[in-house]
Amino acid sequence: MVLGQALVNWLLLGTLYAAVALGFSLVWGIMNIVNLAHGALIVLGAYVALVAFQTYHLDPFPAILIAMVVLFLVGWVVQYVAINRVIRAPFLVTFMLTFGLDLLATDLIQQHFGGDTRSINTVYSGIGLTFGSTHIAFDHVAAAVIAILLTVALSLFLGRTRTGNAILATGMDRDAASLMGISIRRTYALTFAIGAALAGAAGAMLAQFYPFFPSQGGSFTLTAFVIVVLGGLGTPWAALAGGMVFGLAETFVPLIPHVGPGYNNAIAFAMLVLVLIFRPRGILGKAFYS
Amino acid sequence: MGTDLDLQTPPATKAPSPVPRASRSWLWSLLIGLGILGLIGMVPLTGDISDLHTWTLILMFCVLAQSWNFIGGFTGYAAFGNVAFFGIGAYSVAILLNDHQPFWLGLIVGALIAGLFAFLLGLPVLRLKGHYFAIATLGVAEALREFSAIQNIGGPGGEVSVPFPGAGAYPTLFYVFFFAFLALALACLIITILLTRSKFGYALVAIRENEQAAEALGIATYRYKIAAFVLSAIPTGLAGGLYAYFASGFDPPTVFDVGISVEMVLLTFLGGAGTILGPVIGAIIFEYGSFQLLTSGFSAHNTLLGLAIVIITIFLPQGLVRLVEALFYKPAPGAVRTNRLREGVRRVRRFIAANGI
Amino acid sequence: MSDALSPPMASEGAAFGASATGVPLLQLANVTKRFGGLAAVDDLSFSVCQGEILGIIGPNGAGKSTLVGLIGGALTPSAGRIVYQGQDISRRAANQRSQRGIARTFQVAQPFVGLNILENVMVGALFGRQRLNRVEALRIAHEVLERVGLAQKATLKGNELTTADRKRLEMARALATKPELLLLDEVMAGLNHTEVAQAVTLIREINQSGVTILVIEHIMRAIVGVSNRILVLHHGRKIAEDLPEQVLSDPAVIEAYLGERYAKQHQSSQMIQRQLALDLGSPDVLMGEPEQKEERK
Repeated sequence: MVLGQALVNWLLLGTLYAAVALGFSLVWGIMNIVNLAHGALIVLGAYVALVAFQTYHLDPFPAILIAMVVLFLVGWVVQYVAINRVIRAPFLVTFMLTFGLDLLATDLIQQHFGGDTRSINTVYSGIGLTFGSTHIAFDHVAAAVIAILLTVALSLFLGRTRTGNAILATGMDRDAASLMGISIRRTYALTFAIGAALAGAAGAMLAQFYPFFPSQGGSFTLTAFVIVVLGGLGTPWAALAGGMVFGLAETFVPLIPHVGPGYNNAIAFAMLVLVLIFRPRGILGKAFYS
Repeated sequence: MGTDLDLQTPPATKAPSPVPRASRSWLWSLLIGLGILGLIGMVPLTGDISDLHTWTLILMFCVLAQSWNFIGGFTGYAAFGNVAFFGIGAYSVAILLNDHQPFWLGLIVGALIAGLFAFLLGLPVLRLKGHYFAIATLGVAEALREFSAIQNIGGPGGEVSVPFPGAGAYPTLFYVFFFAFLALALACLIITILLTRSKFGYALVAIRENEQAAEALGIATYRYKIAAFVLSAIPTGLAGGLYAYFASGFDPPTVFDVGISVEMVLLTFLGGAGTILGPVIGAIIFEYGSFQLLTSGFSAHNTLLGLAIVIITIFLPQGLVRLVEALFYKPAPGAVRTNRLREGVRRVRRFIAANGI
Repeated sequence: MSDALSPPMASEGAAFGASATGVPLLQLANVTKRFGGLAAVDDLSFSVCQGEILGIIGPNGAGKSTLVGLIGGALTPSAGRIVYQGQDISRRAANQRSQRGIARTFQVAQPFVGLNILENVMVGALFGRQRLNRVEALRIAHEVLERVGLAQKATLKGNELTTADRKRLEMARALATKPELLLLDEVMAGLNHTEVAQAVTLIREINQSGVTILVIEHIMRAIVGVSNRILVLHHGRKIAEDLPEQVLSDPAVIEAYLGERYAKQHQSSQMIQRQLALDLGSPDVLMGEPEQKEERK
């Protein structure tokens, strides 16, 4: 049955989308930066997993951790060296800066790995249970579980740890947090590094299931943006909710007669406009008009 | 920006305070702008067709940046989808030419459709602010690209070729395109100067500086924003139409390329957003350098573009024109003139590292 | 406008606000504004008469700035009606209200930093109620700057001013729209004694030139000195509306406005009244901190 398979696909896609948007939502919510390089970071995560898999014959699941560590370091440096220098500028400046970083990262990846489409194929890829015409693959389920675990972990980290609280406090009021003895530079660097690490995890997971290529980052960024608008800013759970809703649209809209595939950006944009008109605070989050 | 807005001397009052002097900086901007465009106008004298080709495209980017400046620089609304108007202009010309209509008709129709599209699009998206406006406009341009590819607008996959005039007209036509873009750039320069001296211009700057306060002072912000968006769409549509004929064919990824939107923003920023000359200067410096690198066989164009963006946004977020203004600032009445150089240098240093923590 | 350049009144007293007519200019009828579950302004009704100076005070979070937003048009009421010159303006946009003669200042001064001071004020004259051309707007702007004492600084940028001058600029910009009703949102907060005195003089002058004024303030001394009537807000509700002296001796006001500090320190209300009388002479005790963060969402 088409619908049953679509439902299973949706659960995988929705959770993966949540992973795509998680770090983006954190960076936006805390620093008010729409990180246009987020997609490039996801792509970088995918290539880290590819190198781990091809060169070091490492299974893609542990490679998620490696991608997170690498991207954490990259994110820290980027924030410390570049973004901290424009953090008080009008939003268009940070917007342009992250766009420049996106171009730079994408082009460097392309120079190094070439522009071809790559993929990671494990021996166990696609093995799973089949009910009638509905197939559930184990690796898909594992990825979905990891995506949800990342959401839980981020939520606990922000809510329960001292460092997490410092991040939240900085997000609410930078000057007040600074007066409380929190180092803004370091907190921002940590926030961006965590956001980048989550992007790396998303990239490493996506790499197992979908072919990827260097210039794909832009569409990931647009997707993350729409998901955050759908879910709302403020909590990791909002990103999960937004990801599930977006996955729903992407899975089922092409099934509508006379529409068909190919309209990914158009769907994303249409949803964006609908949400901004009818529920400007997203599904779970806070209002973002200030 | 402020210094670009001309202030005429008010009639003498009984007040003892010094009456503000009339600022003539717009006149300087006009003269410098005319000088720059006049110098570019001499390029055809070299007789080198490839130079002519390069400068035609540089002028095109001048026009694109100048028209982005209306919505992005003066009004402060970060439109990231203005390439949509470019594409609309290009498709209008291509479709009408292929339908054996005259070129000028396509150009006018394209500009009108671009303006109308900006109006209709502005109705919903100009209610959004900041990032939301930026991404919404970006999304529209992307959606148009997908639409023209999937619906086979103009040809299979959206690819169109435009009938190029006979071989006899070949070199002459390049001159025509060059001067058409030059005229368009000149028109944009004059519109910009008129804007800075008008009530409309004050409304846009007030909206950029503080929309809530602007509204409270009686400015119908929504209408002015839509007007600025339309004003920025029309020259962009004209440039797209000229480009379509000039390039004698294109496909959706070329004329709806997000990169063009980004270059509009970047060029304006490099020169100085919301200034009269900023977009012209930014476009000439960046695009000329970019073409030089391309012809010298440098392949990593995007690395360069990315690096340029990073450096400009960190160190020159207000652009070259304002940097020069900061260096040659006007001292406050009564200030000691000998400190002027030191003060200028201090301002420039503060200017460069303005936004960090 | 220059007739307001007449010398300030020599003494505090009944002379100012004498142009009050008793004809209502602005009426609020059961106005409520909710943010989520919280009612920042709750079922509030009052009117402002033509020519008077009405003071509105209240502790932090009383809904003062929300009220300015509602009258100025930045916010629309969740319920109730706002009637100005006999017309319901509850749903009108801020710019239309400005064109009908309602001008406001902002609690946190919001200059157009890219423009100089003169141009800032010009914007008010170009649009606002008069909608002048540039030459006339320039003249009016210069006049208004003279009036508020900023003419010397006309060429500075909006961000190069002191706090007191920023507040003056706010008032100048609002005045340049030629309002009939002027909403002053904490224009005296954060000023020193001299500057408060100057502001009070200026407000009276403006009123004498025929402008009805609503003064929203946190500083008790200043508002008592300048208002014909005072309305006290607490948790979005009106708890008193009377002449300044009556309001000051109202036990509910003392309780709400002065809060725990006074309730604990002085057991009897007589003592409080005596203390208040003293404070009016030396106002520091009642000069609260500027409430910068109230209802910023």
